[in-house]
Amino acid sequence: MQSFQPDHRSSPPGRADADAGTGLDAVTLTRRQWLGAAAAAPLCALPGAAWAQAAPAGAGRRGGAANIAVVAEPPGLDPMISTADLVGTIMQHVYEPLYTVDAHWNIAPMLARDMPTITEGGKVYTITLRKGVKLHNGRELNTDDVVASLQRWLDIAPRGKAVKQEITDLAALDASTIRITLKEPYAPLLSQLAATSGMAAIMAKESLAPQITQFIGTGPYKFKERRPDQFVVLVRFDDYSSRTEAASGYAGRREALLDELRFVPVPSPNTRVEGALSGQFHFSDQLSLEAISRLEESGSVAVPVMIKDFGFPYIVLNNKEGVLASQAMRRAVQTAVGDSDLMDAGFGDKRFYSVGANFFPEGTPFYSMAGADLYDNNNPKAGKEMAAKAGYDGRPIRILASRQYSFHYNMALVFNEQLKKAGFKTDLQVVDWATLIQRRTDPKLWDIFISHSNIQPEPMLSPPQFSAGAPGWWESDTKKKVLGQFNSATDQAQRGALFSSVQKLVYDEVPFLRIGNFNSLAARSTKLQGLTPMNWPFFWNTSLSA
Amino acid sequence: MLRFLIVRLAGALLVLALVAVIVFMLTRLAAGDPVALLLGDQASIADIAKVRAQYGLDQPLPAQFVLWLGQLLHGNLGQSLFLQQPVTQALLDRAEPTLLLAFFAVAIAALIGIPAGMAAAIWRGSAADQVFSSLAMLGASVPSFWLGLTLIQVFAVKLGWFPSSGYGDPTASFGERLQHLLLPAIVLGLVNSALIIRFTRAAMLDILGEDYVRTARAKGLAEGTVMFKHVLRNSLVPIVTVLGLTMAVMIGGTVVTETVFNLPGVGNLVVRAVLRRDYPVIQGALLVIAAIYVFINFSIDIIYTLVDPRIRLETSA
Repeated sequence: MQSFQPDHRSSPPGRADADAGTGLDAVTLTRRQWLGAAAAAPLCALPGAAWAQAAPAGAGRRGGAANIAVVAEPPGLDPMISTADLVGTIMQHVYEPLYTVDAHWNIAPMLARDMPTITEGGKVYTITLRKGVKLHNGRELNTDDVVASLQRWLDIAPRGKAVKQEITDLAALDASTIRITLKEPYAPLLSQLAATSGMAAIMAKESLAPQITQFIGTGPYKFKERRPDQFVVLVRFDDYSSRTEAASGYAGRREALLDELRFVPVPSPNTRVEGALSGQFHFSDQLSLEAISRLEESGSVAVPVMIKDFGFPYIVLNNKEGVLASQAMRRAVQTAVGDSDLMDAGFGDKRFYSVGANFFPEGTPFYSMAGADLYDNNNPKAGKEMAAKAGYDGRPIRILASRQYSFHYNMALVFNEQLKKAGFKTDLQVVDWATLIQRRTDPKLWDIFISHSNIQPEPMLSPPQFSAGAPGWWESDTKKKVLGQFNSATDQAQRGALFSSVQKLVYDEVPFLRIGNFNSLAARSTKLQGLTPMNWPFFWNTSLSA
Repeated sequence: MLRFLIVRLAGALLVLALVAVIVFMLTRLAAGDPVALLLGDQASIADIAKVRAQYGLDQPLPAQFVLWLGQLLHGNLGQSLFLQQPVTQALLDRAEPTLLLAFFAVAIAALIGIPAGMAAAIWRGSAADQVFSSLAMLGASVPSFWLGLTLIQVFAVKLGWFPSSGYGDPTASFGERLQHLLLPAIVLGLVNSALIIRFTRAAMLDILGEDYVRTARAKGLAEGTVMFKHVLRNSLVPIVTVLGLTMAVMIGGTVVTETVFNLPGVGNLVVRAVLRRDYPVIQGALLVIAAIYVFINFSIDIIYTLVDPRIRLETSA
């Protein structure tokens, strides 16, 4: 979820999130594997908690159909065009990208045979395909399919269009090799190719069209049927060409053990819980946090699944127009805000959120505490003085918030009070999500909006404010310089170090306030075996016990 | 008679035209952008503008209205922005669960409401009357979402007798789909039976005071015969009217129950379309629902004239 549906696509974990029907889904990577035992231990130690993390794996039984309750009807099934997480969640079973992400947030090859050869100072990527990969129509995948798919992605996909500005040439060198030539070194390229939402999906060339009607990919499942608001059905692709490495996150070996996957849109979180408890759904995604006690007590039918560091709420400030266009005013707001109070308002139970200045979890490549002195200040007095110095003229700060995600609304109430306490005049406007995402595109209509996003393995994938033109309109010479350095470093270790300066810049210029991290709660039937909790849940390598 | 029909038909068409204008205006005046929802958060403002243009949403509102009107006159309700299917198809897909649910619910409401209302009327002022009247009040007051969730927890989660939600898996038989409708039908039936109890009681009490009832009793008919043959039979007209109205309301108004039970019905379609600003679906669905109401009223007008010629004469005068 990136903010998906905000930022949305998914309705995150709200406290009693009664979302409604638009949410589309969301996800990102979360793997507890890298969270480390220390972080996971308190959860597992909960009295009576039957935490179902990596469920019993191993060679599962073949057969059966899994009913998977998702938060909404997907807004289409073309994973390139829509960046909605729900579309990626479903269609990652049908389509595969050249690269993907392993359990440690490292890029790993999927349809590519191995990692690319990078030459010319990071400007030329040469990628060799795996041999013998079958498409769902029985034909063997070739570089024509790959080049045509990537070209479509570059032309029409929101992510692809951003990447296209960095590319000078995309070409097939022979039947198994392609080459991507960049204008300048652009390190996020592989992460962009590996993203699940707005996926650089590789499709059969003959199925490509402005509007896809035949979903022909290489994934372990084939598209069978979509009945809007009832289900999307995928069936096993018997000729699937799996990688041979051990499964790790989204990477490695994939085996379709289940005959059929049925993604059922169930917008009401209560109904998703009841469906899990009654055994009707084998997996229920994104439940309200209150459901945990019922799931823990149910025991024999369903167990809770915690997806750690699923996403982060963030508050975007209008850098372009209005009262917060000056950096000094944004710093005043930042100083007045108490992030831990906001997280508490949004999520209540500490099992479901964490606070900290770090944008990325400890143990991952981009972990940094840069700028920590500007996080969670909760100092209304200092905020007021800074606003006075910045020439605050008493104009109300217009805050847009939606009730579609209950934690947005709960945080907005506390945030509003924090600003008032620091002497700001505020105008809290609570609107529905569709209205919010329309209004935020007009810089004249707002000063602040509240959203959330999935945590992505690559900083440049989220939030959108790192790119140019996203609502908030964060543009500065320093941003160009710092992001330019970060994005031109192709060495992963070097990028990890450089991210500190990016994070520090966000705390200094305050294009947005990143409040903390939240976890997501799902439910798994005790019959569903082998599930790895991930932000974009997948169901290869999972099976149903008899 | 012909003039009467023409006047009524013209009135019906006028109503539909007004509904079309109002629905169009309301959907477009509400803030929100379907394309921004469709493309997801990573879409840039330029992407959104481009797709808006593809769907013609960048055109001036009068031009969009004329385009939609043109489609309507060709019997085309348009194409859903989200569902990748024609609005007509989307409505047809959802008609079955909605109609079956309405039918079931009304049947349950009648089976509960008519006997209970009769008992309350026959033993007016007694304990039975108090109990049934209180039950009616309770039924009218209970929120259907609460009742729905409670029934799900008891009958689906604890006892496992019914599925908790949905309308059956892709291979479900008609019988299995009906099974999915039973719990929601019970919810709607219980809630709506309150109205039937009260109407039945009131109608029976009216009739019980009629001279011919006293006559029937005076001539020595058994009480059961008096009740069923004279009182209930004559009370049925208002009761059936209420049952019919309840059915009509349910066709577009079972949103809460459909949401709790995740039924892919018409109400759910409209609500989801509103939330995602799927303009063609909102417009098409509301217009069709309005047309059904107009058609029913038009039919009733015609039936009245057949039953009671005075209506026709008064209109013509």
